[in-house]
Amino acid sequence: MVNSGNKKARVSASRGRARSVSNRLGVFFLFVLFTFVALSVRLIFITKDNDDVYQQKILAQQTYDSQIINAKRGEIIDANGTVLAASREAYNVILDVKKLLTMEAENGKGLVKSATIDALVSIFDVDRNVINNYINQVPDSQYYVVKKGVTFDEMSRFLPYITKPEEGKEKDSLYNKNITGVWFEKYYVRYYPQNNLACDLIGFSLSDGVASYGLEEYYNDILSGTSGRRYGYLSGETTMEVTTIPAVDGNTLVSTIDTNVQMMVERSLRAFSNQYENNARKGLGANNLGCIIMRADSGEILAMASYPTFNLNDPMNLTHLYTESEIKQLEEEGTLRDAYDALWKNFCIADTYEPGSVMKPFTVAMGLETGAINGSESFYCGGSLKVADHDIPCHNTDGDGWLSVRQAVAKSCNVALMHIAAKVGYKDFLDYQSVFNIGLRTNIDLAGESRTDALVYNEKTLHEAELATSSFGQGFNVTMIQMAAGYAALVNGGYYYEPHVVSKILSAGGSVIKNIEPRLIKQVVSSETSDTIRGYCNAVVTEGTGWRAKPAGYEIGGKTGTAETVPRGNGEYVVSFMCHAPADDPEIICYVVVDRPNVSKQEDAKYASIISKQILTDVLPYLNIPMTQELSQKDIDELNELELSVLTNRDEGNEEETETDSGEKEGNQ
Amino acid sequence: MQKKKSFFSNKRYFDFSLLFIVLFLIGFGLVMIYSTSSYNAALDYDGDGLYFLRKQLISAAVGVVGMLVICFIPYGIYKNFALIIYVLSAFSILLVLTPLGHTGNGARRWVYLFGMSIQPAEIVKVGVIIFLAALLSKMSNKERASWKGIFITLIPAGIISGMLYIITNNLSSALIVAGIAVCMLAISTPKCYKLYILMALGAIGAILLVVGIAKGFLGSGMGFRGERVLAWLNPEGYADGKGFQVLQSLYGIGSGGIWGKGLGKSMQKLGFLPEAQNDMIFSIICEELGLFGGLSIILMFILLLWRIRDAGVYCTDMFGNLLVTGIFSHVAIQVIINIAVATNSIPNTGMPLPFISYGGSSIIFILAEMGIVMNVARNADFKDRREEKPAEAEDGNEEA
Repeated sequence: MVNSGNKKARVSASRGRARSVSNRLGVFFLFVLFTFVALSVRLIFITKDNDDVYQQKILAQQTYDSQIINAKRGEIIDANGTVLAASREAYNVILDVKKLLTMEAENGKGLVKSATIDALVSIFDVDRNVINNYINQVPDSQYYVVKKGVTFDEMSRFLPYITKPEEGKEKDSLYNKNITGVWFEKYYVRYYPQNNLACDLIGFSLSDGVASYGLEEYYNDILSGTSGRRYGYLSGETTMEVTTIPAVDGNTLVSTIDTNVQMMVERSLRAFSNQYENNARKGLGANNLGCIIMRADSGEILAMASYPTFNLNDPMNLTHLYTESEIKQLEEEGTLRDAYDALWKNFCIADTYEPGSVMKPFTVAMGLETGAINGSESFYCGGSLKVADHDIPCHNTDGDGWLSVRQAVAKSCNVALMHIAAKVGYKDFLDYQSVFNIGLRTNIDLAGESRTDALVYNEKTLHEAELATSSFGQGFNVTMIQMAAGYAALVNGGYYYEPHVVSKILSAGGSVIKNIEPRLIKQVVSSETSDTIRGYCNAVVTEGTGWRAKPAGYEIGGKTGTAETVPRGNGEYVVSFMCHAPADDPEIICYVVVDRPNVSKQEDAKYASIISKQILTDVLPYLNIPMTQELSQKDIDELNELELSVLTNRDEGNEEETETDSGEKEGNQ
Repeated sequence: MQKKKSFFSNKRYFDFSLLFIVLFLIGFGLVMIYSTSSYNAALDYDGDGLYFLRKQLISAAVGVVGMLVICFIPYGIYKNFALIIYVLSAFSILLVLTPLGHTGNGARRWVYLFGMSIQPAEIVKVGVIIFLAALLSKMSNKERASWKGIFITLIPAGIISGMLYIITNNLSSALIVAGIAVCMLAISTPKCYKLYILMALGAIGAILLVVGIAKGFLGSGMGFRGERVLAWLNPEGYADGKGFQVLQSLYGIGSGGIWGKGLGKSMQKLGFLPEAQNDMIFSIICEELGLFGGLSIILMFILLLWRIRDAGVYCTDMFGNLLVTGIFSHVAIQVIINIAVATNSIPNTGMPLPFISYGGSSIIFILAEMGIVMNVARNADFKDRREEKPAEAEDGNEEA
């Protein structure tokens, strides 16, 4: 009973203490309640006082990176739709090293890192050690380019490893959750399916939006398109909107270039260069070779080629022209950049040279147009003419005797032309120089056309001797495209067309945005004068210096040119052949320039006319221009031989060699 | 003699209000964790926005099951194991130093146990509550009010609190343990003037410390914690450093307005507010759900504490009473400090918001504590309390 009583008392005491605890717990609860109320009041004040201020601060620190969405650069296609330049998607493989190592540390058990690197090595064929070294050296990196320029197909082979399979398809999936931190950066890469073809004319774009030379540079804005953007902006005061402006892909250029004509031209130039390579001196068959084929009555360029060429897909590669040690030497001399410039620039529009006798039809046209001559005059050539105390020789130093104007052009007599220029006079000569656009840019739609206004004579510099030499194309400089465009006007009835390379601009979707029509600039000579000059030029081929250029079955007209380069007297010449075909109704102009042929005696225009003949033999039938005369038995034999040689050599792949031999024989005759 | 009540008897009380409030807070917490963490989780875990939600859901499920089991375990049992529990919790801190321990967010505060990552600080909080409840319930009022009683209570708590601070460099948890001990002692002991003096001295010391730091007398010597105090006084002035987090938190709260931007529409969670799903979740709640949401959550915590208080108030047993007091103190201190930090009412210290913040150990152990409270409530004798009202007055007289 006592025990029980004690126990009861103890329980009672404990209860009593518990009661008092309860009271104080209640007080504590009230204290806590008060604290909560205080905090609530503070919360209310923060909200009430700073609602807008803080809201704006938050919006101010939102860095919605306005993200650029790359546009796809437009294509360049030729007149037949053959793709000359295009862009395709490419991907950089990026490894987020920091993330990889974080995941590895969290639950990797050594699997995350090895699985990821294994997958990269097996799919992209990269060096495991390189990756491991990088991971060890820069463990914080979040942007490591494992491999550049991976194709879509290659990337697609990797995707299954990092793409979570759908429910129920886990068995077939390659998905490996250990592979982590790999992503792909998409961009566009430019490629040129035809490699070297028309390289100078097309130009190249190494990175997005940056283009060098040719069409790529001239039409960069049109090809580039407009990048899209993803960005945030505030609508009203406190709402953030995210907007995407899609990229507008670049437009497509339809060129007037015909890939087949271009190939024929380039083949002939290459054949010539190979034939004379290391002939009289070390090096290519000529310092430069250039050829323009242009429609006579619209200024459309069908082909524009020069040699040497380069691969547009690898423009930095010089190994086809120089040996490793030579490149090293260029680098040491600091002239590597010059070597690139020389290779990349378009010889046909960028290089200037003295045109030589190709100028003669122009001089005669000036005489006829100004009335200084009427075409019935005769001039005596004694081998040279004394002008202002200089004896200026004819190319035939023995003299040709009495010559009609027609014969003077056909035989390319300097003396007769000097007489004609003297009759024309300084003022009219200079006027007509600019009428023919000599000294002015043609404004062809290609980047890199040279200015030649300082390279021709003006009122102050044109004196008696200069006028005399100018008559046969020495003393002033021109570009090939200037001469071709001017000559076209001379023989097509007198109409000067601006030469152009692009005929149409299409949207990325294929609809026509702009048609570029032939642009008639002016009439430079009357149609009568044009007829007369055409007749003289036809005589050059039928009875004069240009006979080697005549292709079987076609009558053509033209003019040879041989110009000594500066400095004079060291035996270096630029030889050329300008022609139109067919003879009476010109459809195309073909102009071939051989800059310092690799032969011991350079001053012979035959090097240019032989190339012209090969080109015309290929190109005229291809362009469906009907033959203008019966084929003689000799012509048939020649064509058969050519066709045979083409056939046999196509198999052996050294067509050039055979033609070389025949050319050599001809040259020796 | 009273008839022994059967364990699962219908007559026994079960606090469904408490259960409902707890489940509500957990459910709400999961929604907010998904809202706050999905953006960063998607960035960090290969587009897996559910990463944090999934982990928290598993922890919450384990915690709820644990809570329901514990609420059927008679709380009296703990009294017998109090010392063992205390020693084990101290030992768990030491585990951090063994290879089992691992580092996260720059501090070594976690251990791997049974395939789980556990924060010993959470074990310690429960351990200290049980140990002190057992210790204090064995002492008389006089003993507890004496210097001897005060030190017998505060020294074990101080040791373990010091271990938390020194070994895991976790000042927040150390403060909570100390706070729980002081609260339990103060609430359990009538007229404990000596303790009040100590508390007053502590408060004066804290104020002097803050003034000292603010005036620059102690500035450099206090390291980053001194800087936190300065940043508290002038968050804009330390916007790039220690003030950054709290300033971002204020931006979040302030920009929410009364009704908030709408669930899921927080901007601060997009990488601006550090620990958005963790210590700073209250700021995101205010940003998305506004003042209304923030006050609602405070109200839910008040209701929760009221239910916990009731379990204690109607408990006639000293040990149960003290257990509830400890748990009440724990939840109250943690909620108050968390919200006070988010509103920059006190210097910044990392403290999860119970039931809502992300953190597996935190939610599992707080739910275990709720299980204990529920069990105490089951055994509380409400009828007894009402009938014996005069006895209370008698008690009061006795003490007076």
